[in-house]
Amino acid sequence: MIRRRRWRQSLTPWLYLLPVAGTFLVWVYEPLAQAVWRSFFEWNMLPDTPMTYVGWGNYQNILALPKLWQALRNTALYMFGLLPFAVVAPLAIAIYTQDLPTRWRNLYRGLIFVPMLIAPVVAASVWRWLLDPGHGVVNRALAAFGLGPVAFLSDPRLAIWSIIGITGWKLIGFATLIASAANARINPSLIEAARMDGASGWAIVRHIRLPLLSSTALLLVTMSILLGAQWTFSYINVLTDGGPLGATTNIYYLLWDFGFSSLSVGWSSASAVLLFIGFALLALGLLWLTERVSLHDA
Amino acid sequence: MTPDAIPAPGWRLAIRPQAMAQRRGRRLGRGVLGHGVLLALSFVCLFPIYWMVVTSLRPANAIFETTLWPSAASLANYRYTLNAIPVAQMLGNTLVVALLVTAIQLLTALLAAFAFARWRFTGDRLVFALVALTWLVPFQVVMIPNFLLVAQLGLLDSLTALVLPHFASALAVMLLTQAIRAFPQEVIEAAHMDGASSWRLLWQVLVPNLGGSLASLAILIFISTWNEYFWPLLLSRTPENSVIQIGIQMFMSAEGNQWGPLMAASTMASVPILAFYLVLQRQVVQSFMQSGLR
Repeated sequence: MIRRRRWRQSLTPWLYLLPVAGTFLVWVYEPLAQAVWRSFFEWNMLPDTPMTYVGWGNYQNILALPKLWQALRNTALYMFGLLPFAVVAPLAIAIYTQDLPTRWRNLYRGLIFVPMLIAPVVAASVWRWLLDPGHGVVNRALAAFGLGPVAFLSDPRLAIWSIIGITGWKLIGFATLIASAANARINPSLIEAARMDGASGWAIVRHIRLPLLSSTALLLVTMSILLGAQWTFSYINVLTDGGPLGATTNIYYLLWDFGFSSLSVGWSSASAVLLFIGFALLALGLLWLTERVSLHDA
Repeated sequence: MTPDAIPAPGWRLAIRPQAMAQRRGRRLGRGVLGHGVLLALSFVCLFPIYWMVVTSLRPANAIFETTLWPSAASLANYRYTLNAIPVAQMLGNTLVVALLVTAIQLLTALLAAFAFARWRFTGDRLVFALVALTWLVPFQVVMIPNFLLVAQLGLLDSLTALVLPHFASALAVMLLTQAIRAFPQEVIEAAHMDGASSWRLLWQVLVPNLGGSLASLAILIFISTWNEYFWPLLLSRTPENSVIQIGIQMFMSAEGNQWGPLMAASTMASVPILAFYLVLQRQVVQSFMQSGLR
């Protein structure tokens, strides 16, 4: 009787966990294992065609593709290109505007947050209109200064920066909010003490605020990588289709392209495995850095 | 602090009044500049959205106007869009999916968070880690197996398939676990002593006190589900079985650069969320910031 009760007691937590654990097992972890397995086969997703075992063939093939390297370079470009919008500008704005009265702060807060609520597809369609070479308001404004027209989305050198800019537009207000909140939590007596000691404004920022904000900065970096990965897909899909000449394709878009345009499950899975490994290393690196920085705080 | 920031003793007292006046002046200048910076940022953030609404109100013959308000505002673009795609049904579908996902994710997260916060059991840390680590798996990595599973179940092009993979949210589990752990232990113990089962403890003691966390999570989940694009894009074939985000994409590929109707469609897709934001502005900002700060 007692043994049975104890058994039931140890079962209870698992019953509560079941829905979440089951969902992640079915939709995340099993598919992850499946992606690894499928990366060793060649298959075109049609149910009645056979899957052929090709060993490391898919990996060899995709690693020999200039397209893959281009996509990886672009992915890095997206990540670094977002940093000014996600980290540098928000921290600068947060520090610069800390003295504003609460009423104004709340007003600005409410306004700059709005792009975060706009769906990526809507953002894409609106920016397509704004950046239209013929009649878009941006080019009309440039024309007033005798400039342009600029082919923001079809010039191979510019397109990726346009997409980075659109992603940054959606992110910058929210990142500024987070930076301001973190900045406001810095103990004012630290600042006052430094000021009493005659530290200049810049010295206070450089030696007190920025070190105390470093874990926030890392959080913003992580956020820009995560959200950037999600959002850029919609922008690329709607605005450039990866072009011109692959100039805006990043690794996420390439996976989709391999899988659902070329119908090459093997290639898509092999690059999925590579992406997962790279992503995990990057994330663990960031986590490790955050850990170190927060020790430094204390 | 570096040595050069430490002034010589006595220096502070000597020039204090002057320094204070100077600082006050600088603060005023900074205040004006601060407003300038934030005004510019607000403009950049809002102008595209304003332009979307204004363009949607311009009649076809005046679509290329650059005036701040249409010379003759009309709803013709909305009529055109409503005829071209089943907007009402797609908005309805989106609402149903977003509400279902919100309710389900809150429920499953609540159960899991309760298990993590209430008991120590073999493997609890491992399972918690596996939940937290799901964000390491970009959706593109698992999309093909997920797509094949949905196809096997015969659920392609259905709303059910849009909800199924979203039965659990790692963020919700983590935030609620924190919230329950922060709950006063004595109250839980007292209820336990009274012989309350864990089920009753959860629903009668904890849930009534988790209103704030649940509401802010609900806002977060609802908005991100409403705006989701990638998963519906893989599954949807017909407008009637799809969500509004796909509607915009279909509209764009079918009608190309019909800017007026396209902006009308975009406006209609955004209005529900923006209206919600107008009413609950502070709570919405708060819940997003919580998710970011953790």
